Amino acid sequence: MLTANIDRAWIGPKTILQDVSFRASAGQITAIVGPNGAGKSSLLKAITDEIDFEGEVRFNGDDAEQVRPWELAAIRGVLPQSTTLAFPFTVIEVVRMGLLSGHSGQQEHLPETALARVGLEGYSRRLYQELSGGEQQRVQLARVLCQVWTPVTQENNPRWLLLDEPVASLDIGHQLMVMRLLKDYTARGGGVVAVMHDLNLSAMFADHMVMVVQGGILSAGAPQDVMTDTVLSQAYGCSLRVNQAPVDNSSFLLPHVAAL
Amino acid sequence: MPCLICLPRYTAADRMTQVADIAMPRDRRTTARLAHFWLAGALVVISIISLAIGASGTSLWGALQKLVIGEPLTQMERIVLWDIRLPRVIMGICVGASLAVSGAVLQGLFRNPLADPGLVGVSAGAGLGAICAIVLGGFLPLWLRGALGFWLVPIAAFIGGWGTTMLLYRISTRRGRTSVATMLLAGIALAALAAAVSGILIYMADDAQLRDLTFWGLGSLAGATWQKVLVSAPVVILALGVAIGLGRGLNGLAFGEATAAHMGIPVQRVKNTAILTVAAATGAAVAVSGGIGFIGIVVPHLMRLATGPDHRPLLINVALLGASLLLIADMISRVIISPAELPIGIITAVLGSPVFLWILLRRRGLVDL
Repeated sequence: MLTANIDRAWIGPKTILQDVSFRASAGQITAIVGPNGAGKSSLLKAITDEIDFEGEVRFNGDDAEQVRPWELAAIRGVLPQSTTLAFPFTVIEVVRMGLLSGHSGQQEHLPETALARVGLEGYSRRLYQELSGGEQQRVQLARVLCQVWTPVTQENNPRWLLLDEPVASLDIGHQLMVMRLLKDYTARGGGVVAVMHDLNLSAMFADHMVMVVQGGILSAGAPQDVMTDTVLSQAYGCSLRVNQAPVDNSSFLLPHVAAL
Repeated sequence: MPCLICLPRYTAADRMTQVADIAMPRDRRTTARLAHFWLAGALVVISIISLAIGASGTSLWGALQKLVIGEPLTQMERIVLWDIRLPRVIMGICVGASLAVSGAVLQGLFRNPLADPGLVGVSAGAGLGAICAIVLGGFLPLWLRGALGFWLVPIAAFIGGWGTTMLLYRISTRRGRTSVATMLLAGIALAALAAAVSGILIYMADDAQLRDLTFWGLGSLAGATWQKVLVSAPVVILALGVAIGLGRGLNGLAFGEATAAHMGIPVQRVKNTAILTVAAATGAAVAVSGGIGFIGIVVPHLMRLATGPDHRPLLINVALLGASLLLIADMISRVIISPAELPIGIITAVLGSPVFLWILLRRRGLVDL
């Protein structure tokens, strides 16, 4: 279980989040959704202690502030929205850094396996700086995967993947590939929290959705409970109509049927 | 007809990997580790050559032969080899290694290959500290002067370098992101300020102090004595040891402070250690040899080109290469207008500034400055 009770979070003089009580369970994909500038990324950044906040964040019951950095790194991997590197590292060198920081140990084959899982076989010796944005994001995902490779610790506690827009810069094929990979991670006992831009992908893959609007949680629950006409229309400030996909009965949204 | 079954068959993916294998460098980890041995070997050879040549005709081989057969050395040989050349070579190794490592650590800390102790004012700050110690040292209480002894100047240089680095980092880093433009410009301002204050102090200095001060302007290994070696070598060895332990932390910092923290790196501790190391290494180098520029930028850059940016092998390799290059520059400075000497700072600047411009031009399109 991951819990975050944030009374207030701020960047400079500006309050970004207020009275947010966030919960994510292991074995589930929790999608954080919401309009631009609502505080989705800030919520994730408060959970990962990147911005100032009052409140507390607990991973598997332990107060994150009391846990030492390297111990925290062994139970949760964090993927930022984008990562620029100062020096010309190759892809495999980037992914290997994940190996050093987590508890995955010196398993030589792991980085290659992780790269294959994000669809980047044969990219090992390419220079990271010369890749496209979507490829860079998948390299970073492979690095984070290496860090928390097994979804459950030896003490049977879940490990966590905290991802800021993991699929936003990817094409549809790779979006599905990455979402299935995350689904598999949760199926094996790990927890995934992802800031998501795409409502339809979230509805398809998430087990739990959290709608953040204006620095607070407007609605949280199963995707069909959050993906409703009322919630979405209120959140995005335009009249939206939700449909059900015939294949898996998940909710989906077509921009075509939005009324102004 | 050739047997079709025997022909190797490749899938499209195989071919892709093969093309990649040809086009891409091989795993740089092995190359970087092998480089330790190559560079260490080169340093030994260069040190011996450096001992052997000089303005006086004294022959190292002749002296060694005498030592082997147990014949006493002439006084000339003893002075030239033992009192002049050997401390100079050891000091050259110390100064070259610490400048190169300072550069590499500073670049890792600022996440930018253009950071260099000479360029961003750290050397100027250390120089100011040293000048303060020489000119104002007389005002210190006697017991303190007695306690510090020869360490007064290096300690003052260290404090000056540390203050400048701290200030520079505070100015150019906001919320974990370092602005390169701010860093370079603030470095220029801090260097100018340090130079101005140094100028005031030089104005105040008496004749004897002026003589002590002159060599800072030149930047030279010519003043090498055993005493200076004894003062600088421990600092340099300590700083190098600490720096090499920083490798993993600096690798993490290359991803940005937040991501480094998520990787489990104690970011604040790494930053503080890096700043102290840069200050100590630059301070020790500046205290004994004055401001020698460009070693800190050229050496790490060449090394990264050759073996990649992984700081763990990189820091060892830059120390070795920095020491070798400074010894070579020193040899050039000794023989080029022999028997007079060209200040070594001129040689390193002539060799270094084109490299700096080259890095700048290559990165112009890639990175916003």
